[in-house]
Amino acid sequence: MEEAGDLEISGVGSNSTINDDGGCAWTDWSPVIDWGPLSADDDFRGLVEAMMCDDNDDVAHAGVTRMAYDPYWNSNPSSTTTSTGTPPAEEPSSSDGGGGGNDDKGLRLVHLLVAAAEALAGPYKSRELARVILVRLKELVSPAGGAAGCGGGTSMERLAAYFTNALQGLLDGSSATACSRQSASHLDGQVGDVLAAFQLLQDMSPYEKFGHFTANQAILEAVARYRRVHIVDYDIAEGVQWASLMQALVSRKDGPPPPHLRITAVTQRGSGTRAVQETGRRLAAFAASLGQPFSFGQCRLEADERFRPAGVKVVKGETVVLNCVLQPPHAAGAATTRGAGSVASFLSGAATLGARVVAVVEEEGVAEDGNFVGRFMGELHRYSAVWDSLEAGFPMQGRARGLVERLILGPRIAGAVRRAYRATGEGGWGEWMARMGFGRVGISCFNHCQARLLLGLFSDGYQVEEDGPNKLVLGWKSRRLTSASIWSPPPPAPASVPPANIGVSSSMEDSDFLLD
Amino acid sequence: MFPSKKPTMNSHERPMCVQGDSGLVLTTDPKPRLRWTVELHDRFVDAVTQLGGPDKATPKTIMRVMGVQGLTLYHLKSHLQKFRLGKQPHKEINDHSIKDASALDMQRNAASSSGIMGRTMNENVHITEALSMQMEVQRRIQEQLEVQKHLQMRIEAQRKYMQTILEKACQTLAGEGMASVSYKGHGNQGVIHVGAMKDMGSPMSFPSLQDLHLYGGDDQLDMQQHMDRPLDGFFQANEGVCLGKKRFNPYSSNGKSPLICADDLRLQELGSAAACMGAQEEPSKNDQLQIASSVIGGGIDMDSITDVYETKPVLSTDGTGEKKHEGSPKLERPSPRRAPLPVERINPMIRGGTLPQTRNISYG
Repeated sequence: MEEAGDLEISGVGSNSTINDDGGCAWTDWSPVIDWGPLSADDDFRGLVEAMMCDDNDDVAHAGVTRMAYDPYWNSNPSSTTTSTGTPPAEEPSSSDGGGGGNDDKGLRLVHLLVAAAEALAGPYKSRELARVILVRLKELVSPAGGAAGCGGGTSMERLAAYFTNALQGLLDGSSATACSRQSASHLDGQVGDVLAAFQLLQDMSPYEKFGHFTANQAILEAVARYRRVHIVDYDIAEGVQWASLMQALVSRKDGPPPPHLRITAVTQRGSGTRAVQETGRRLAAFAASLGQPFSFGQCRLEADERFRPAGVKVVKGETVVLNCVLQPPHAAGAATTRGAGSVASFLSGAATLGARVVAVVEEEGVAEDGNFVGRFMGELHRYSAVWDSLEAGFPMQGRARGLVERLILGPRIAGAVRRAYRATGEGGWGEWMARMGFGRVGISCFNHCQARLLLGLFSDGYQVEEDGPNKLVLGWKSRRLTSASIWSPPPPAPASVPPANIGVSSSMEDSDFLLD
Repeated sequence: MFPSKKPTMNSHERPMCVQGDSGLVLTTDPKPRLRWTVELHDRFVDAVTQLGGPDKATPKTIMRVMGVQGLTLYHLKSHLQKFRLGKQPHKEINDHSIKDASALDMQRNAASSSGIMGRTMNENVHITEALSMQMEVQRRIQEQLEVQKHLQMRIEAQRKYMQTILEKACQTLAGEGMASVSYKGHGNQGVIHVGAMKDMGSPMSFPSLQDLHLYGGDDQLDMQQHMDRPLDGFFQANEGVCLGKKRFNPYSSNGKSPLICADDLRLQELGSAAACMGAQEEPSKNDQLQIASSVIGGGIDMDSITDVYETKPVLSTDGTGEKKHEGSPKLERPSPRRAPLPVERINPMIRGGTLPQTRNISYG
C-alpha cells in the first residue's frame, strides 16, 4: 500500500507529522485490514474511523456510549497551564478553548489508545495499523498549536502522550530497549532530579506513605514485645519505609527500650548492590541519629531470581518479619521489577524463616484478564486516576505535576505497559497467599485510623476501605489503586510452590517480566 | 429498648390476656391496658418510619397510618412518647458502635423491669446512657489524637530521611560538576538548558526543558538577604543547605515573585524545599496556601517546583521576618515553635485551603 508506506516512513519512531494533503490523508487511505472482523460493533468502527479522520470532523461522535469510562475522565479539568487563578471547573462543559470540548477529545484519545493496543496484541494483530494509529495519536497529543506534552496540553493529552510512548516502545521492540537504556543512563546522571520528583510525588499524594505506614504499624504491633526484630525487605529501594518505623520504635512509650532492629535487604545479583549498600549506610546513620540500635545486611537472590531462605542469617531470639512492597520503582536505575516467581519464592520463605508477620503492599486493580488489551485498559484507568488525583490536589501546580509525570509516572507507565504486554495475567498476591495457607492478620483500629488521617491530609477524593480484615485499600474516587495487607505465614510446607495462575511455563522465563 | 426489645409487660402480673376482635391484645385486669405485642409494635415502628421518624409522627397520623381498630390516641400518645425517649440514646449508641456492656445491660434492665414503663426510670437510664456515651466519644477523640500525634512524628521522620537522601544526591552531583546543566545567569528569563533531560528517549515531541522558563526577573535577590525574610523559618531546620545553580523560589509575600537565585554551582537541597513545603502554612485563614520551594539542580524546572510550593509566608518559626502566625491553636502541636508539623506541611495540598485542623480531626 503506497500510502501506508508513505505513512510508515514518516511515522516510524519520530514525531513528525504526517504530510497530509490539505488536512487528512486518512480519508484517502483505506485501512490495511477490514474493519469488519476487527469489531463486530459498528459503533466502535465508526468511531475509530471518525477519530482517525481529520480533526475538523464532527466531534459529536461523543454519542458513543459503548465505552463507558469512569466519570472522572470526563471531568478532567481541562485547564492548561496557561490558565491563571481560576481553579479548574468540575464540569466538563466548562472546558476551556479547544472547541468541541476537550472532553470529547479525551475520549477520542482513549479510543485511539485502545485501538492501538488492540492492533498490537488483539485478536487481529497488525503492526501497521498500530503504527498508523500511534502516529495519529502523536499528532493529537502534540498538536501544532503547541500545547504538547509536559507543561502543556490537558491532563488527558499528557497522559495519552505517555501511553502512546509506551505503546510505541512496544512496537519498536528492541530499539525501544536501546532507547530506554539510553534514557536510563541519562537518568543515572540525574538521579537527583528523579529523587526530587519523587519527593514531590510523595508530598503531593499519599500513595507511598499509605503503604509504608500501614505496613509499619502492623509490624510494630506484631513485634511489640520482642527485643530483637529482623526485617527481611524484598525491595528496599532507598529505605524510606524504615525511617518512620525506627522513629516509632524509639518512641514507644510503654516500657521497653527500642528493640534491636536488623534489616536484611534482598538484592539482585550484580547491579544495584552498591546502591543497596548506600541505603544501608544511610539507614544506619539515621538510626544512629535516633538512638535506635541497628544493623544491616544483604541477601542475594539466586541466579534465577529466586529467594532462598537459607541466605538469610537468622539470629536466635529475634523476631522475623517479611516486608514485600511491590510498587513500581520510581527510579529507573533502581531495583527493577522482578518476576512473579521471585516474589512467590520470597513469600514462601516466610514459613521457613518462621516469620511472625508478612506485610505486603501491592498495586490494586491489576486486571486479571487474559489479554493485553484488558490489562492495558486497566493501566490506563489506573494512571488516569493518579493523574486526576494529582491534578485535583494541585490544580495550579502544573509544572510540578508535569515534572512528576515526566520523571516518575511516565517511566512507570512504560514499564506497566511492557509488563502488561508480556504477562499472562497475574491476580493480586492476596489471593495467592490465601490459597497458600497464609493467615490473615487483622488491621488494627489504630492502623485504620492512621490511614484515614493520612488521607485526610490530602485531597478529598482519596478513600481508604477495608477489604477483608487484613487489608486496607487506598483508592481515588472509587478506583482502587494500592493496598496493604498483613499475613501470617502458613505452617512450613515441604516445598514452595509457584502460583498456579502465573503461567511460568517453560517458554516464558522470569526474565521476561523484567524491564529491558 | 423499644426498637429492639420486645416491649412486654411482665406476664406474671397479668396472667390473663384476651385478644379482642380487632386483633389487639388487651389485658383482663380491671383496667384494661393495651399489650404492645411484637407485631403491633412493628406496625407502630413502620408507621412512624413512614411518617418520617418519631419526631415527625403524631399520634393522630400514626393512628391513621396504622389503621388498627381499637387503638386510641391515648395508647399511641403514651407509646410514642416512650418510643421517642427510648429511641434517642439507643440510636446514638449504635452510631458510635459503642459496645459498652454496662450500657446495654442498663437498657435491658430498663426494658424488662418496667412493667409500668415508668418514665422516671427511663430518664435515669437515659442519663446514665448519655453519660457513658459521652465518655465513649471522649475516648475516641483521645484515641484519634493519639494516632494523629504518632502519624505526624512518622511523617516527619520520613521527611527527614528523604532529606538525607537528597542531600547525598545533591553532594554527589555537585562533586561531579553537573556537566549536564548549564546555567544561564541571572537573566530575566533564565532558561535552563538541560541537554540530557531533553529527550528521555521518547519519540514524543514533548517540549524540552528549554522551553520551560525559570521564574526570571526582577526579584532576584541575594540569598543572604532573604535569609532574614520569612524564609529563615524555612531554612532553620536545614543546616546543610547548599545553594543550587538554579534559582529557587522560596515563598514570597505576594506569592508570585521568586526571590533568590543561586550564586554558584552548588545544588540546592530539595529536601529543605519539600520539608518546608507546608512549613509556613497559614493556619487556616488564607485561601491560597503557598509554600516555598527550592530546586535540585540539573533539569528541574524551577517553575514546576515553584508552582507546587507557591505559598504565602506563614509561620516564621524563628520569629523573624514576617510573622503571620495567626495564633490559632493547633490542637495537635506538641510545640508550635518547632519546625511546623509535617501534617500541616501537607495540608496546603488540600485545594481551597480548607481548614487543616478540621481535616485532621475529622474522622475519615
